Amino acid sequence: MACGSTSLWAGETSWFCCGSSWGPCGSTGTGACGTCQSGKNMAAWPNLSSACWSVTDPAACGENMPRRGCGSVVNVKHQCSGAAVCVTLADCGPNTQMWCSEQTCCNGSCRTHRVIDLTPAAFSAIGSLSSGLLPVYIYE
Amino acid sequence: MTGRNGIDRRRLLTSAALGGATIVGASALGGLDAEAAFAAPMPSLDPAISRSSFVDGRVGRIKGSTLDVVEADGTHRLIRLTNATSVWKLETVTAEAIETGDGLYARGVEMPDGSVAADAVWVNIVNLYVTVRGIERTRLHLSHGRTTLVGNIVDKRTTASFRGGALTSNLSQLKIGHHAQVLGAWRPADDSVDIARISVGH
Repeated sequence: MACGSTSLWAGETSWFCCGSSWGPCGSTGTGACGTCQSGKNMAAWPNLSSACWSVTDPAACGENMPRRGCGSVVNVKHQCSGAAVCVTLADCGPNTQMWCSEQTCCNGSCRTHRVIDLTPAAFSAIGSLSSGLLPVYIYE
Repeated sequence: MTGRNGIDRRRLLTSAALGGATIVGASALGGLDAEAAFAAPMPSLDPAISRSSFVDGRVGRIKGSTLDVVEADGTHRLIRLTNATSVWKLETVTAEAIETGDGLYARGVEMPDGSVAADAVWVNIVNLYVTVRGIERTRLHLSHGRTTLVGNIVDKRTTASFRGGALTSNLSQLKIGHHAQVLGAWRPADDSVDIARISVGH
């Protein structure tokens, strides 16, 4: 599937490590799809499967994003800088229901709720890892 | 940072790497704010320069301004630090803070010789989903997946956010059993993590 420009969702993104890596990331595994690697442009999506949805429960925050399975490709764009990265869905997450009401802003405009998690490679392509969170638009 | 500035920065670090620049902290460049540099995405508009690269590995050797980084599969990648490289290790630091054995993520531009001229390097950075299992004055006992972890509370550095609220240095609301995300710097020497920020969820 190509990395498209049709609006899919918007919200916050965080980042997570997966695959073989150093430090505490060495024990994280390759994610729900078995393919996740920190060094590749990949992402976790809260509605990867029904089992995933029951854990992440985005509906608790009023988010009802559509299901997209392992291998689906989405384009994640920083709300303010316009920087974008094309990622492949490789894991279930983030645990959206834990972060209801959280928001991340730039230039006076805010996005609420964690709706996608990016690998370090993908997150660093559109922002700084030390920021931890970014406001993004998601396209497919 | 604008796209134009991003390209200027990218040209700067590329030319610096090609010219064999010596290590100088990013703060030495008055016109390049370190935090802004970290946040700036790598521009992809300049056809004269190859696309951006990302490296994930541990520092095996440091020789001058070049880091020999070993990736998980054993591949060696050379990371070249320049006057334009921003370095984070719990906070913005100079390149001298990087040590053999550190883990890192580096973003940069691939050079003709296969090395990467780094735009930004995040040393030992982790962003972990944890559960609080114990609380002491200077450290937290955490579980991360099936493993346990010590999180060090760093004076004047560690901040917390509770249920989406503003960052605070007051950790008194932290309770055993809280689920949280810890952004911090791993310490290879004892496998603990210095906490930059702990975000407590619902």
